[in-house]
Amino acid sequence: MKYMIMTFGSAEEALQHHSKEWFRDMIAFMRKIDDDLVKSGEMVYNEGLVDGSQAKTVRFQNGLPVPTDGPFAEAKESLVGFWLVDVENEARAIEIASKIVAFVESPIEVRRVADGPPEV
Amino acid sequence: MRELAPQVLGTLIRRYGQFDACEDAVQEALLAAAVQWTQKGLPENPRSWLVAVASRRLVDQWRSESARRRREANAAVMDLSAKSQASDYDDTLTILFLCCHPSLSVPSQLALTLRAVGGLTTAEIASAFLVPEATMAQRISRAKERIRSSGLPFELPPKAERADRLRVVLHVLYLVFNEGYSTSSGPALQRADLTTEAIRLARMLHQLVPGDGEVVGLLALMLLTDARRAARTEADGSIVPLDEQNRDLWNNAQIQEGVALLESTLGKVAIGPYQLQAAIAALHDEAPTAKETDWPQILALYEVLEGVSPGPVVTLNRAVAVAMVNGPLAGLAVLGTLDADNRMTHNHRLEAVRGHLLEMAGDLVAARESYVRAAKMTASLPEQRYLTLQAARLG
Repeated sequence: MKYMIMTFGSAEEALQHHSKEWFRDMIAFMRKIDDDLVKSGEMVYNEGLVDGSQAKTVRFQNGLPVPTDGPFAEAKESLVGFWLVDVENEARAIEIASKIVAFVESPIEVRRVADGPPEV
Repeated sequence: MRELAPQVLGTLIRRYGQFDACEDAVQEALLAAAVQWTQKGLPENPRSWLVAVASRRLVDQWRSESARRRREANAAVMDLSAKSQASDYDDTLTILFLCCHPSLSVPSQLALTLRAVGGLTTAEIASAFLVPEATMAQRISRAKERIRSSGLPFELPPKAERADRLRVVLHVLYLVFNEGYSTSSGPALQRADLTTEAIRLARMLHQLVPGDGEVVGLLALMLLTDARRAARTEADGSIVPLDEQNRDLWNNAQIQEGVALLESTLGKVAIGPYQLQAAIAALHDEAPTAKETDWPQILALYEVLEGVSPGPVVTLNRAVAVAMVNGPLAGLAVLGTLDADNRMTHNHRLEAVRGHLLEMAGDLVAARESYVRAAKMTASLPEQRYLTLQAARLG
């Protein structure tokens, strides 16, 4: 079963709450999580995103697609990175997410990737 | 084996025409060689072996296609029969010019050069650029389609255009190197395979066009920059800035080769931007410690470079040199001239350098803000982490 595990926030926000040592540990922690998931054969794909302030939104306005800068929603709601994992069951996906939450202390979303059409 | 790829391709194109079909056939022959040569050892004449196998693939493919295509093939063979005498001629340079034709998009130029001249497979190129193989296959086939539909001739560019076309080739090799050295996005800071390949291709180009100072300059620049590779990141992939690098890890042989190349052109040819950048890299490489760096000389070279090839990135680098020679406030004044330049609006390096100079000047609060802004703008994950750490350090 495939799950997407998503983290939210921004470096700027994290800087308000954490020390330089925490950042060093966080970088090492993320690297370890990635390594462990590759070793266990559960990692499908993962990426970190650039800061949410660099995002663009394309809206449909007056019959035309119009790009604008932003979102400028609260940073804690901004997607900052994700892992796509292929795991035994949902409990395992939650276990992975729990490890990450215990470190970053901000909420993480775990969502199942929809299946293809059922096999006949 | 891969250095034979463009030579074999050249021979095939002279015999049969049709760059795109010949290129596919050469790829298949290279794959066959990879299997057979490992099992049975090198054939007596590897180049002839590859030409024979690739020709067979090509003819097989034409046989299996429609009669219309066969007639085209016959026509192509007749058109080129006069040239086919010269089958030992090395067409590598012609192929390089064709792959870097200005009518192709830059990503296409890079991909096609790596495949047709570098002899890399589509899968290898795709993984080097971190895109799916199907995407890269499309990019390459669109580029080849473009060459076919524009009817680009298989010959060296006319003399009058040669210098300009060579600049495009140099730029493509420079981009391949840079893509490997400072990846524009993604988790890894450097991908050694692309830098190594760029250096190999630049060496090849230097052999084909030995008298060109800028070819030498580019090769020297690559060698002198790549020499610092092992010191540039820590084991965990995080960035080590130039002044904190362990210089014992620098590749001395590569530094000496780069310096010797550069000296071989001094006073003989008109100086160009690649030679100037290589000369600056050489000054960094030759300093036993960061403190002993010859900044006045580096500043002088940046001033010449700005005259020859002005641009915001050169100004940015000059600002650092100015700060090192005349103090951080003088450097910050140079940076100020870039604030109105909209080419730099989304460039994180301007803010990163500003943070560094503000820190040198003792304004830690403003320095921290600049580091945060830079971290928000960069598209490289290691750089994002490095800049965040810089900000956290001052917090």
